[in-house]
Amino acid sequence: MASELTTQSYITHHLTNLTCGKTPSGWTCDPYKVEQMGFWAFHVDSLFWSIALGSLFVFVFRRAISKNQDASTAPSGLQNFVEMSIEFVEDNVQSLFGSVKNTLIAPLALTVFVWILLMNLMDLIPVDFLPVLAGHIAYLIAGDGVEWIKGPESLYFKVVPTTDPNITLGMAFGIFLLTIYYSITVKGFKAFIAELTLHPFGKYLIPVNFVLEMVNFIAKPVSLGLRLFGNLYAGEMIFILIALMLFFSSIPIGLMGFGLHLVWALFHILIVALQAFIFMALTIAYLAMAHETEEH
Amino acid sequence: MNINATLLAQAVVMIVFVAICWKYVYPPILSMMKEREKRISDGLEAAKKADDSLEEAKLAFDKELNQAKAEAAEILEKANARASQIVTDASSKAEAEAEKILTSAATTIENETNKAKEELRQQMSDIIIDTTQKILGDEISKEKHEDILKKAAEEL
Repeated sequence: MASELTTQSYITHHLTNLTCGKTPSGWTCDPYKVEQMGFWAFHVDSLFWSIALGSLFVFVFRRAISKNQDASTAPSGLQNFVEMSIEFVEDNVQSLFGSVKNTLIAPLALTVFVWILLMNLMDLIPVDFLPVLAGHIAYLIAGDGVEWIKGPESLYFKVVPTTDPNITLGMAFGIFLLTIYYSITVKGFKAFIAELTLHPFGKYLIPVNFVLEMVNFIAKPVSLGLRLFGNLYAGEMIFILIALMLFFSSIPIGLMGFGLHLVWALFHILIVALQAFIFMALTIAYLAMAHETEEH
Repeated sequence: MNINATLLAQAVVMIVFVAICWKYVYPPILSMMKEREKRISDGLEAAKKADDSLEEAKLAFDKELNQAKAEAAEILEKANARASQIVTDASSKAEAEAEKILTSAATTIENETNKAKEELRQQMSDIIIDTTQKILGDEISKEKHEDILKKAAEEL
């Protein structure tokens, strides 16, 4: 890693994932060998935070009920929060799903909502805090043994998983698989294929229909994943640019950077919650579509 | 920012978390919430029932109280009537007694008066005779003028 800190290196450092993968010379996380890894590389930082926050979600929600097993005592604190989230999700599922009974939808929506909310919230932690901390820890632990860690700043570490398109598209992909599964099981394979081929021009233009419907079909998960990624990536980018004001400018601009950071963080809370909600609502909507049996 | 196997890993991770939530997190919370909802509605129902019965008890209490009050008033009235009755009885009795005493006293007085008169008459006649005897000597004796004496006594 270059020892001199420039605007470009600062931004690049913040936008690069810690990538581990297999190179011809074995497994490594060396940022200079990412090209050699090809497809089978993993963004360890994104996955770490993704799993950590998912576990936090499961832990917190499990704890809320195990602490207060019976329904005879009044709920308090954490349990109120948990029940509020569940009621919120139940309401949304009810309004979008109507009478269709599927016990998976509500837990899925809850997981998606809380998980994405937590991942988005990582954006509100000051941009340099965790990467620098992780870099120092890595240097302290592995500084001698691993040849590519030459200093605290040679470790790339992205904190917000939802600014990684792999994460958002990965979730969208999971939901895409679920929509296909439910389309086939609820409507039947034939009806599913018919839906993809017999609209909008009838049976004489099947290839055209198929191309049009496929675009429509694929666009849903792609837009679902990219919407979340785009919003959070842009938010993160602005945080990085504001942070640059603090380090590369004069004192007045630096102070303005403080103010802007506060303003943007407050505004970003809205985006964080809104994007999590949109992702959840669309997840429910797409699954509801997969359950619709009537012609449209 | 390139797409790589992280995508698949994340999809797998998501499926795992959704499955955990579906099996172990969501159902117990939801069932507990439903149960509590039921408990609360039961509790409200019970509270409403208790309220109703309280109202009923209050009404019964009021009724009883009013009845007791009426009874008490009645008793009081009776007692008053009786008391005045007793007073009138007593006073009329006393009056009668007084009258009786008065009459008997009047009779006694009359008798005494008559007795005294009789005695006086006797003494008078004795004195008169004595005096007359002394004046007239033996001309007049009690035995001789028995009739005249008696007549005179009666006239006195």
